[in-house]
Amino acid sequence: MRQIRFENVTKTFDGELILNKLNLTIPAGQFFALLGPSGCGKTTLLRLLAGLETVDSGKIYLGQKDITNEPIYKRRVNTVFQQYALFPHLSVFENVAYSLRIKKVKEEVIKEKLYDVLKTVRLLGFQSKSIVSLSGGQQQRVALARAIVSEPDVLLLDEPLAALDPRLKEQVLVDLINLQDKLKTTFVYVTHDQFEALTVADQMAIMNLEGNIEQIGIPKQIYEFPVSRFVASFVGTTNFVEGILRTQDDKFQVEVEGLGRFDVFTPVKKDWLIPGCRLFMGVRPEKILISKKEQEGFANNLTGKVHNIIYYGRSTQYDVRLKNGKMLTVFEQNEEHFPQEEIDYDDQVNLYFQKENVVLLDH
Amino acid sequence: MNNILRRIAKEDLPFVFAAPALIWQVFFIYLPLLVLLFYSLDFKLSNYFDLFSSRYFSVILSSLILAFITAVICLIIAYPMAYFLAMKIKRFKTFLLFSLILPSWTSFIVQIYAWIFLLQKGGLFSSVLCKFGIISQSTHLLNNYFSILVGMVYCYLPFMILPIYTVLEKMDKKLLEASADLGANKTQTFKKVVLPLSSAGIMAGFLLVFIPAFGEFAIPDLLGGGKSAFWGATIVEKFLMTRDWASGSALTFTGILFLLIFFVICYFVYNFLKKFVRTRKLWGGHGYK
Repeated sequence: MRQIRFENVTKTFDGELILNKLNLTIPAGQFFALLGPSGCGKTTLLRLLAGLETVDSGKIYLGQKDITNEPIYKRRVNTVFQQYALFPHLSVFENVAYSLRIKKVKEEVIKEKLYDVLKTVRLLGFQSKSIVSLSGGQQQRVALARAIVSEPDVLLLDEPLAALDPRLKEQVLVDLINLQDKLKTTFVYVTHDQFEALTVADQMAIMNLEGNIEQIGIPKQIYEFPVSRFVASFVGTTNFVEGILRTQDDKFQVEVEGLGRFDVFTPVKKDWLIPGCRLFMGVRPEKILISKKEQEGFANNLTGKVHNIIYYGRSTQYDVRLKNGKMLTVFEQNEEHFPQEEIDYDDQVNLYFQKENVVLLDH
Repeated sequence: MNNILRRIAKEDLPFVFAAPALIWQVFFIYLPLLVLLFYSLDFKLSNYFDLFSSRYFSVILSSLILAFITAVICLIIAYPMAYFLAMKIKRFKTFLLFSLILPSWTSFIVQIYAWIFLLQKGGLFSSVLCKFGIISQSTHLLNNYFSILVGMVYCYLPFMILPIYTVLEKMDKKLLEASADLGANKTQTFKKVVLPLSSAGIMAGFLLVFIPAFGEFAIPDLLGGGKSAFWGATIVEKFLMTRDWASGSALTFTGILFLLIFFVICYFVYNFLKKFVRTRKLWGGHGYK
């Protein structure tokens, strides 16, 4: 097992800076997701790792070995391409066997390995089919089998689910997690879809539009404790409420214009948290309780008027206009089989949330 | 009535549009061929038997050989050109392609005469080559097999470049990345991916050159000095000089027959190779019990 390390990697295309002195360590043997908006340079990062592009400056290490200038065909790094890039003139068997044929592996060994890998991706019986006769999901599995058959150190997945329908996506995600558990190969998964990243990743990194890594951590940490407004808004939905930091009895409070003071709690003291500074409170919509009645036991409450209701099936979204004119989004789990409060348009509602559910974000 | 018109418009319209072309083909290709067949038989089969015993058989053979060599040389020159045009060149692609095709817009005859001037004694080629001492003053560059090939290759080259360029241009470039990613170097990628995927273009180009080259009579006549006999030229001679329509027609049909046999062989070889590449094992495949 060897970890991947990017050291001060810079890459430009036609004079446009894509990656600027990027440092990133990808732990060995984990499912690592790289999440970022389209055009942020995450695919470039992947292509640098695969050897499809060369760095302008900086180094890339696989374990202790410097692979910065190692040619692509010598790297023990294989890729599942976005549109799969399967060879249309070859059968399923020959597509998967491609890397073994290049290495001139014996026919019997190829047959054995192919049996195992085709079984793993549930494609036994498809081996003599032509690529064009397969469905999107099957093609995706051929691409996967082709990439793992030669047992690479690292498997790169470049938005591998982009061409699949949503139902199939969930299935493939589970398959991928199981596959990684079985192989213990380092998977690097690039996506712009936060749902995919949160689902598959052991560790994930969030990349912003400038090509910088904003935060690395386990999915739960990223979702619950985003370090910046960018991360908070890119992963999931967040309400941002602007205010000024105050202290009372050594505890933090945030004063919001027109709404009063809110109790907040921060597990880690950050040096920019100076009383009097402007900042944002980040509150996840599902962490807010909406009710027309008075509720007990909450640190913070505020009132507003229901402006919009969107029914999603498993949850309902309420957009509530606060007294200061700003909107706050609330998600409420649906439980129609039990009596639940009827909330309608223009109803006056109370909103409650705990101080632990507030994340303080730099202005 | 309205319904009938609508039905015609719906179902038979393609046929209505195709009709002029079909009528043209029937009257100006298939019927003349029948007439030719009638002439060639001349109420006896002896015209055909004569062919095999005479020099005309070797005429067809030498035309086949010339067409084959022309097609092969065209392929050798055209493939790298098409490859670089499709894969390596980013800017001025259309312009370069255009300039490759431009010469073929002028008449064949004009192109051939231009080559006569270039190749004749004291022409550009022989004087330059003489100057560097590569050939002696007395060497003929014209009126031999070499000059015929030069003319043939020059005239037919675009027909080889275009189909190969088209398939290479259409090929998904990601496949090359995938191949390299899976451990193949450039030579292996070319052999295992690029060549098989451009085989349809090679086949098309080969036929586009081979067929007209087989029947070509102007180039061998003008650049070869009429010394060596080829199929096309012999047919012209039969019909226009000796007025021997019977054996001329017989020669025509025998040539077409040889061409058809050649195609059938090509077709089977091509399909055999394609299937072989796809599954490696032609019989049985990769079955698991």
